[in-house]
Amino acid sequence: MVYLDYAATCPILPSVASAMAAAERKYFANASALHTPGHQAMNEIEDCREKLARMVGCEADEIIFTSGATESNNTVVRTFEGCEIETSPFEHHSVIEAAKKYRGEKLPKLYSYMLANNETGAILNLPHPEVSACHFSVNTDLFAAKNEWGKELATDRRSAYFHSDLTQALGKIPVNVKDLGLDYATFSAHKIGGPVGVGALYVRRGVPFCPLLIGGRQEGGRRGGTYNTIGIIGFGAALDEVERNGDIEEYNTRIRNMRDTLARMILKDIPGSSLNTDLMPGRSLPNILNVSFAAAEGESIQLYLDAEEIVVSTGSACAAGDIKPSHVLMALAGDAEVAHSSIRFSFGLANTMRDVEAVMRVLPGIIKKLQGVSTVAL
Amino acid sequence: MTKQDWVYSETVKEHFLNPRNFLMGDESGFSYDAVGTVGNPVCGDQMKMYIKVARREDGAEVIDDIRWKTYGCASAIASTSALSEIAKGKTLDAALLISAEDIDAYLGKLPKHKFHCSILGHDALRDAIEQYRKNH
Repeated sequence: MVYLDYAATCPILPSVASAMAAAERKYFANASALHTPGHQAMNEIEDCREKLARMVGCEADEIIFTSGATESNNTVVRTFEGCEIETSPFEHHSVIEAAKKYRGEKLPKLYSYMLANNETGAILNLPHPEVSACHFSVNTDLFAAKNEWGKELATDRRSAYFHSDLTQALGKIPVNVKDLGLDYATFSAHKIGGPVGVGALYVRRGVPFCPLLIGGRQEGGRRGGTYNTIGIIGFGAALDEVERNGDIEEYNTRIRNMRDTLARMILKDIPGSSLNTDLMPGRSLPNILNVSFAAAEGESIQLYLDAEEIVVSTGSACAAGDIKPSHVLMALAGDAEVAHSSIRFSFGLANTMRDVEAVMRVLPGIIKKLQGVSTVAL
Repeated sequence: MTKQDWVYSETVKEHFLNPRNFLMGDESGFSYDAVGTVGNPVCGDQMKMYIKVARREDGAEVIDDIRWKTYGCASAIASTSALSEIAKGKTLDAALLISAEDIDAYLGKLPKHKFHCSILGHDALRDAIEQYRKNH
């Protein structure tokens, strides 16, 4: 199998699996308990908290462990219930839907802008060395004239707070929550080879916060529920891998090269193909390539590739069990056909150039077949 | 519920991977008497059904041959392929009686959100027959 759906989830890294298996025997005790095994479990959790805090440039007590990105996103948005909430059009549904449910007219206002998008890899907000702690600017070039997005966000700290979903960015590009001027940030373990069901939330000291899960004093009263010690240890082991192996550098070199090679080969060999990912360094994550194939429908492409044991994803409505195509591609391209015809290839560190070759052995034929039977002209 | 590795039934998979009666390339590749069109690429699915009609000795008009084209998902491809098999050789009156439910049953049930794919094929065939009757 050629797995190119790492942006959806990654296989658990071997070192993570070993760390979790060992932890299941050693750190099974309830980490809130007063006894020694409880304390030992809590020490492990605190180690992981410090690792993540170091990696993203904050204090350990500004990190709360959650069940994943959806919970982290929901928690932040829910904190601003009844307040103005502005989101970019590229946000994950866990931000968009929560904002729809909770937004009102009061101040302070919450801005939620993800750093890197999961579907196209687009980097929305370029961290700028001169950016002060209260500035968080949107990469205006990304939003074409057809969209009205792309503006400086309000920077008055007294009336606005800033959240960013850093789920896709973590481990792929350097992220520093202080440099980005963030008040809140969302992280997830399973996008970097950790287990599903563990995430984290950065909450800057002194900002508004309302726990989503109540009924326990865990996480300093900020998140009720028995500590997921084993999962958090898995998250920590995945963070170790990111640091130890220089993952960010490898993504920026080897993986970027592989991604760009696939893009070039597709454009050269497949008529009607167009990129939805800007390959220019700094404009997108190095591991995501989103391509549309004119006159060919995304779910069909995905499933013909699946039959060849090549695993990708699509922004087509048909695949999502929905009648609407990807809101991200609609915001980016403003064209439903582009969205319906889109395929996302997302690479991980286990991929090699052989995987690119495997894709190119079958993809041109699949697209040719679908374009041949299509009612839409090329 | 039966567990399966693939998203749709084995029959859907078979028709998707080996579609029958599709029209590859230009429409001029098939000599047809009428064409029916439904759907819209903006919705993600569009279908065209081409029929060639022959008159039997008893005077009944039958679908002698059939082709289709689609800009559509896997279940659209499979349901149109299945419909083309079901409809071929039927009289126009009998073909009009084929329901979306018949196609769905033939395919071993599509997921609920995919049922509209079989409706599209069904509507495209009806449209083709109506077009034929209007012009002949």
